[in-house]
This record gives sequence, structure tokens and C-alpha cells, in this order.
Amino acid sequence: MKRSTRFSMLLCPMLLCPMLLCATLVALVLCAAPPPIWAAKVGVAAPDFTGTASTGQTFRLADYRGKYVVLEWHNNGCPFVRKHYNSGNMQQLQKQWTGQGVVWFTILSSAPGKQGYATAQEENDYLAKMQAAPTAALLDPTGEIGHLYDAKTSPQMVVINPQGVVIYDGAIDDKPTTDLNDVPGATNYVSLALRQAMAGKQVETPATRPYGCSVKYADATH
Amino acid sequence: MPGGSPSSGVYRALTVGAALLLCAASAKAEATAITHGTLELIARDQWIAAGHTLDLGLLFQLEKGWHIYWINPGDSGEPPRVEWQLPAGLTVGAIEWPVPRRFGTGSIADYGYEDRVLLIVPLHAAPTLAAQQSVRLGAQVKLLVCSHEMCIPGKAELSLTLPIQSQPPAPNTPTAELFAATRKSLPRAAPGNWKFSVTDANDSFVLTANVGRQITQAVFFPLAESQIENAAPQKLVTEKADFRLTLRKSEQLLKPIDRLKGVLALSDDQAFLIDVHIGKAGAVRNSGNGRAK
Repeated sequence: MKRSTRFSMLLCPMLLCPMLLCATLVALVLCAAPPPIWAAKVGVAAPDFTGTASTGQTFRLADYRGKYVVLEWHNNGCPFVRKHYNSGNMQQLQKQWTGQGVVWFTILSSAPGKQGYATAQEENDYLAKMQAAPTAALLDPTGEIGHLYDAKTSPQMVVINPQGVVIYDGAIDDKPTTDLNDVPGATNYVSLALRQAMAGKQVETPATRPYGCSVKYADATH
Repeated sequence: MPGGSPSSGVYRALTVGAALLLCAASAKAEATAITHGTLELIARDQWIAAGHTLDLGLLFQLEKGWHIYWINPGDSGEPPRVEWQLPAGLTVGAIEWPVPRRFGTGSIADYGYEDRVLLIVPLHAAPTLAAQQSVRLGAQVKLLVCSHEMCIPGKAELSLTLPIQSQPPAPNTPTAELFAATRKSLPRAAPGNWKFSVTDANDSFVLTANVGRQITQAVFFPLAESQIENAAPQKLVTEKADFRLTLRKSEQLLKPIDRLKGVLALSDDQAFLIDVHIGKAGAVRNSGNGRAK
């Protein structure tokens, strides 16, 4: 077989199959990039889930591909959460970012009978009273979504990019206290990640130790 | 009293009584109520001498089911924070943390203390400090007290009045015994002939140690947050006097770290502060005497 024929036989399938070409290029790019060494949670595809909101509506994460998504683990009795709600900080973040097209899910993973658990009605009342503005508050009393993301504390924040990749996981800011006075001066990691990602830049701080009260899962003794 | 008028006897009794009260009050404070417990600022001795150090202590007594946190609280919680108000010539050192307990099962684990715990803080008096009847030390403590169900933040304003003298007292009180017992149980530096090394095993750190005898249990408490997975079991493998402890890395550990520093607890009252260089997998290096294993 002539060399040129062999060459065109190789090239033709790749050209005819753009996905194969594309995959090859993507694979080359990924191999060239330094892998995230131990951060199992950041830089990977956000696990898909379907949750039921306090309004009764269901929301599936995969439906929001193409948008930034923020997950906020919540327990209204936890003093760390109260710091951000009583100061109006969380509500202001919700309004600011949903106003920019970000989808914001507040997630309640407390088991029934444990602190932070709320019925749909209770959660709706709370959202109204606190003037909170998430896209939806998802009720996760079995802890399925919480365990999927290995959420350890409330608050704990996860930011997902429009490609469905986790770009931030951890604390809401850099002041791990229950003191309202620590809100104004704190560096907010959620806003930082969203601003940097939206500007096409690398997220400076992709993971931090989340601070808060332990999530009150069904099986936990702590 | 024979030979004296009744009023002089009463006067003497009152004076003696007042003196006793003053002596008792010289280094005494009352326990302050905190959420689900009490907190008291105490001193080992009845006075401090210029140029010397006196152990102060924050004595927590917590209700059953409630705990406070260690310097590294673990996955959740917050350690107590103290702000001191001290007169000129007096300074404090850092809290000397006793060996913590690990709380929680499942995917969340914290480090802290329950029941009664004394957090020792050394107080230093400048050599030039003049003897004084009494000085007032103040401590504002911000704390978080948690049960497995909830956390309650709190604040306590503590104070202690202390005389300053030129010579240190002889420690001779029940309080001194409490301090001595706590000091005895604090983690101490590992003996020089013990061998430690840590290798990076991809998703875990493996601590290899030889403490001269076979051990049956070992737990490592890291001083820094976000290095190891706090809830993961620490697998222990013993081979005569050698042992290996596998510590799963934290998911928040994004960058390589050089050293692993923390408390290695071998049994109830055998806890050691270790600070070990982390070598690459396969290159086991001794942090003790420099000899490769």
C-alpha cells in the first residue's frame, strides 16, 4: 500500500469522527496538566443528584449543566450557620449570585429528630422569615446528598462550574468562628471562587477545611 | 479569755479570721457557669515570685455528654480562645494541651475533652517586678461546648487575684497536686533513641516507629488541620518492637507537606509529641539518629 494511502486511511477516520479527534486532543491536554494530587473532591465531576425542595418541586443537578451551582449545607440551629444568617451574610450572597445566574441549593441533611431537620413547611417559614434567597432548599433527611459530597459541617460550601466540575469545596470564609463580628472582614471563599472562575482565571483556593457544626446524619453518634 | 476584756478577744478572733480569709482569697477565684458546665481560672500556687513562672490553669468541668475542643478540633467545632488582661511585668505562654479524645463515628470525627480538663497556661513574672499585695489577672474565654446533637457558643469573663512576692512558695496544696497530675499526663518529647519515619504512600501517610518494646495500641493526633482524614481508622501493624500506623490523607490536603507533627498516644498515659520528616515512598529515613532503616 502506498504511504500516502496508509496515511490518509489513518487520518480519514479521525476527520470523519470529530469526537475521536476531540477526545484525543482533550486527552493530550489533560495528560499535560498537573493532576490534583490528593484533593479527591476538587477538579472532579460533581456527583449528580436529584433533590426535593421545600416547595415540593424536584431539582436534578445535571439539568443545570451550563450554569454555576452553589451547594450550601445548612442547619438553622448551628451557631456557625446562625452567624451567617443573623448577620444577613448568607442571604446577601444568595441574592448577589442568583442575580448573576448562579443556581444556589441550600441543603438540609439532618436526620429527623436531629438539629437542623425541618419539614417542608418549617423550611418555607424559615426561608420567608430570614428572607433567604436560594434557588431552592433541598430536603435531604436521609443524608443521601450529604454523603454523596461527604459534607461534614454546616455550613459547608461546594461550587460547581458550568462543565459540572467541582471548583471549590470547604469553608464559607476564612474566619472559623461563631462570632458575627468576624463576618465583615472575612475573605469569602465562595465569592472568590465564582469571581475568579467567571473571569476565566484559576481558582486560587479550591479547598479549605469547612468549619461549622457536624452534619447530623441519621447514623451518626456525633 | 483570761486577763483580757471580751472585746479584745473578739477583735483578735476577727483579725485572725480576716487574715485567714485574705490568705484563702489571695489565689482563689470562683467557678464561672458556662453552658453545660463550669470554668475556673486557678493558679498552682498562692503567689508568684518575680523572675519565676507560675502555672495558671483553665479548669473546665463539663456536664455528661458535652465536650470542648483540642487545638486541632478535627472535622467540626472550635477550640477555646483566650484573651488575657495582664498587668505590666506579667506575660503568659501558650496553652499546654493534654492528650485529646477522639469523638464521633461515621464520617465525622473531632478531637477534644469531656468531663474535667485542666488547660495549663504558664505565667511569667519579670525579674524586676516589685512585691505587691495583689494583682488582678483577667481572661476572656470564647468557647464552644458541643454534644453530639448541638453546639452552644459562650463567653466567660474570668479573673484571679495574685500576690507578687520575691520568693516562690512551696507547692503544698491540693491544687498543686491537680497541676502535677495534669503535667504528668501531658504529651512529652519522644526519647532520643526512639526511631520514627513517615512515608508518603499516595493516599495515606505511613508512620513507622520503634519505641523499644512491642505496643498494642497507637493513635496519632495531628496538630494541624486538614492533613489526615480524622474519621478514618488508623490501621496498626506490629512486628516485634516495630510498628506501622497508616493515616489516611485528608481530602483537603492539596499541597505536599514536609513534616507530620502531632501527638502519638501509645496507651492511656503514654503520649508523645513527634515531628517527623515525610519521605517519599520506599525511601525510609530516620528522623531520630539519621541512620537509614
